[in-house]
Amino acid sequence: MHGLSAAASAPSAVTGAAETVAILVLLSEFAMLRAALSRSQVRLYAFQSLAVAALAFIVAAERHIGELYVLGGLSVLLKVLIVPAIIYRVLREAPDDVATSHRFGVASMVLLAIVLSGFGIFVVGTMPIHSKLLPVLALAVAAAVILVAFLLVIVRSDVVSQAVGFFSLENGVSLASFVLAAGLPLIAEVAFLFDLLVAVVVFGVLMRVHHGRSASLSTRPLERLRG
Amino acid sequence: MTGVELAPAEIQVLQDLTILVFAPFVSGAIAHVEARVQGRRGPRILQPYYDIAKLFRKETLVPEDASFVFLVAPIVAFVCYLTVPLLIPVLTSYPLPLGYMGDILGGGFILALAGFAVALAAAETDAPYAQLGSSRAMTFGALVEPSILFVTFTVALLTATDLPYFEAAAVRPLGQAVHPAHILAAFAFFLVVLADTGRIPVETHSSTLEFGMIDEARTLEHSGPAFALLKWGAAMKQMVLYVILINVFVAPWGLAGSRQLGSVLLAIPIFLAKALGLGIVFAVIDNSFSKLRLFKITEFMAAAFLLAVLAVLVLYLGGR
Amino acid sequence: MGGVLVALMIVPFVATVASLVAAPRIGKPLTVVAGATSLGLAVSLLGSGRVATALAGWLRVDSLSLVFLLAVAFLYASTALFAVGYVESGQDDGGRYARRFFAGLNLFAWAMLMAPIVSDFALLWVAVEVTTVVSALLVAIDDTDGAVEAAWKYVLIASMGLGLALLATLVMYYAGTATLGSGYELFFPRLLAGAHHFQPEVVRLAFGLAVLGFGSKMGLVPVHTWLPDAHSEAPTPISALLSGALLTVSFYAILRFYQVTRLAVGSAFPRDVLLVFGIASLALAALYVARQRDLKRLLAYSSVEHMGILAIGMSFAAPIAVAGVLLQVLAHAAAKSTAFFGAGSVIRKFGTKDLERVSGGIGALPWSGPMFVLAVLALSAMPPFGLFRSEFLIVEGGLVSSATALTAVLVALVTIAFLGLSWHASQIMLTPLPDGVLRGETSKVMPVAMVVGLAALVLLGVHPPAQLSELITRAAAELGAGR
Repeated sequence: MHGLSAAASAPSAVTGAAETVAILVLLSEFAMLRAALSRSQVRLYAFQSLAVAALAFIVAAERHIGELYVLGGLSVLLKVLIVPAIIYRVLREAPDDVATSHRFGVASMVLLAIVLSGFGIFVVGTMPIHSKLLPVLALAVAAAVILVAFLLVIVRSDVVSQAVGFFSLENGVSLASFVLAAGLPLIAEVAFLFDLLVAVVVFGVLMRVHHGRSASLSTRPLERLRG
Repeated sequence: MTGVELAPAEIQVLQDLTILVFAPFVSGAIAHVEARVQGRRGPRILQPYYDIAKLFRKETLVPEDASFVFLVAPIVAFVCYLTVPLLIPVLTSYPLPLGYMGDILGGGFILALAGFAVALAAAETDAPYAQLGSSRAMTFGALVEPSILFVTFTVALLTATDLPYFEAAAVRPLGQAVHPAHILAAFAFFLVVLADTGRIPVETHSSTLEFGMIDEARTLEHSGPAFALLKWGAAMKQMVLYVILINVFVAPWGLAGSRQLGSVLLAIPIFLAKALGLGIVFAVIDNSFSKLRLFKITEFMAAAFLLAVLAVLVLYLGGR
Repeated sequence: MGGVLVALMIVPFVATVASLVAAPRIGKPLTVVAGATSLGLAVSLLGSGRVATALAGWLRVDSLSLVFLLAVAFLYASTALFAVGYVESGQDDGGRYARRFFAGLNLFAWAMLMAPIVSDFALLWVAVEVTTVVSALLVAIDDTDGAVEAAWKYVLIASMGLGLALLATLVMYYAGTATLGSGYELFFPRLLAGAHHFQPEVVRLAFGLAVLGFGSKMGLVPVHTWLPDAHSEAPTPISALLSGALLTVSFYAILRFYQVTRLAVGSAFPRDVLLVFGIASLALAALYVARQRDLKRLLAYSSVEHMGILAIGMSFAAPIAVAGVLLQVLAHAAAKSTAFFGAGSVIRKFGTKDLERVSGGIGALPWSGPMFVLAVLALSAMPPFGLFRSEFLIVEGGLVSSATALTAVLVALVTIAFLGLSWHASQIMLTPLPDGVLRGETSKVMPVAMVVGLAALVLLGVHPPAQLSELITRAAAELGAGR
């Protein structure tokens, strides 16, 4: 039975679980990219945030870092419940305008996103970064999520997609923080989260103002200023 | 209790026979379950056998301008479908001698040859629907191809070989199944199977509406024994794909570990049970989703491709 | 000295709350007082020459921070003064607008004052992000189509950029774990002390991300696209703050990364990165200035140009160029705010930002008109104003660093921008006054703010106070110049 000694040895169960959750984060980013409805985008964002929080819990349980439980709980509260609720409120006021818009075909967009995430993953692969807490794959996924989030903001032309793109970029950064800075003092992490909350409120206010002015969530009216 | 030991060659033949004999059964069983899910009584489980038997008794009609290709193609396809089971772990967890004959790519080529033969035969006819079907089948086949390639790369990176037996062996220890690359590749291959067996959301396999057809339309002009071979072949192809999905990627358990007659024979019902389980999943998907518009199918293919590429990227980075 | 820092943290915050709850007639003078107090506090730090810390080291002002603190505090004071006139002569809707405006102004100033005061990378990021969200609301406060569009673009692009900046902070944290262990605070002195042992690749990544991230806030090409929109659509006092203070605060954040990066990987890499962004910004801005039709966009592109000059100045090895950069930060704050104040008067007078529909500005505005012309000359680095001195130092630094070709490009591009700016300014100012426009200022207070700015510019240009020169020398040394 030559050859049965597999080239890739088995990862531990925790590592495997962490990697799988990280992949789910990336897949939900892709799903957001192609989602046709604003509402499903928001749901996907909530799911993605849940996955990120799950990773925090995995790390917390594995390494017995009590602070990370707090952080995970706070992120669930904020990113799984509050942020989606705020966007849903904006959407409720615009019931006829939930179909989001693509600038390219979905397939070519996904291909572009594949290239981008490949780039992100390879760049991280060349970096001499190791973490005792999480597989470096989580960092690579975070880089890919961030790049795809940029693509999402660029190719989708409605305010909900763009806001969700920014929020999911933040999810990518959170994911990266577990790998890079799991020991970062809780106070800093909480400050980051609080900042996100403020940003969400501002995004919400501006979305509503925009919808109030142009009776649409599309960003196509937002192309007057140039030069 | 020392039972009868089978020679490897005998097991090899038994693998082929399993596919040959039980493929229509699996198709019939899935059709039956599907009907039940939809609240119909549905056809008998053994209906495909009756269909095939009846078709063998009918005469063969050949379109006027068709050449010998039209008649030879169904036989070529059928032989192809009989060849692939020699390469994949249908019944045993240990590689059989002919298993070294070809890797996953080799199996893929043989399946592609079968598809090519059928498409060629369809192109021989003057019938517009058959030609439409063959051109569509080739187009979407080409789009699925990259996903299959990347799935193969994943297997190769995971096991340092690209032989299906070794991939299955790598998956078998439970912890390994958690490897995200493997999950991604399995899911990608699941989507490929969905597309290749003509299932919703790519194609309505039981539809009689020619406009939406892809694979089915290719065989519209065939009749008699040739058509019987094509139908049988389609059932076998489905079963072969199930084997790869189940016994290589998802659940390579319950295969015979020894050459004992008993354990080898026991592997057959176990596999059929797994195939039926998968079939039920497909039937549920059939009922839960609607068919994609033809031009949206590329999105489906892109999703499969995404998963397969991610599998490779993850492995590249895993570096373990 | 610690008490001064705490006071700087409290004063604008109190002013924010007060202007939100109290009537505008109380809020307005209070804002002016808060601005003047902040400036006084910042200046009082000038004398000591030592590093001031407070709150167990969380607040810390060294020479580098003090340069930026002075720029922000100065702008806070002069903008508060200008805004009193600006809002008075504009809206009257029972004070709701004025309340929001002054509360936002104070909060914005507070966040910008906090950025140079805090002593750790994480809090620095938080402060810069707070400036983004507050200023986005201030950009949108006029609630016109243009304002909403500009605010949306601004908050989106700046937030995405700051997402990268946060990533840069995290990567820097990871680099620090090499010497500081897995859990530590990101205080600047600690990172600087250990920087020699950091992994070079990781620090390079952090710096690249920081330049891209904070650069999008600073207005470096190609991540500047929000800048002209926000500057042109925001109320004029906010434009002045955005341009004079916010951009340089982001530059300050980049400089903090620069300090660590220089020690970890040497100064060649960060210099090259800044050079690329600087040249791109300067070149694009110089060209856009020439073909602008909107008065405030014109000034906005001039800001991009100045940010490009700052980045290029940092890329020269000579210490004198670094000193020039720091002086430029101060002079830019004074010059750009004065120019925006003048533009605000022009816009109020003529009711349009369109350069082709404004003429005879000097005739219409007996005070603001000539001062606007002077401010534009100052922006174009004419003597005797501060920007002449600073850009002269930068150019000299370029020649000393034997980057002659680069310096020639710099001078050529600055000249193009100068031609564009002065052409447009003379078109709207030094032309005959059309019929039907009455002669006279729209507000008595607004020209006063401009006088303050011009006075500061002349001071910086003719004879900078000795303490300020020493401060700049020390700050340049902190950035590694002269070693």
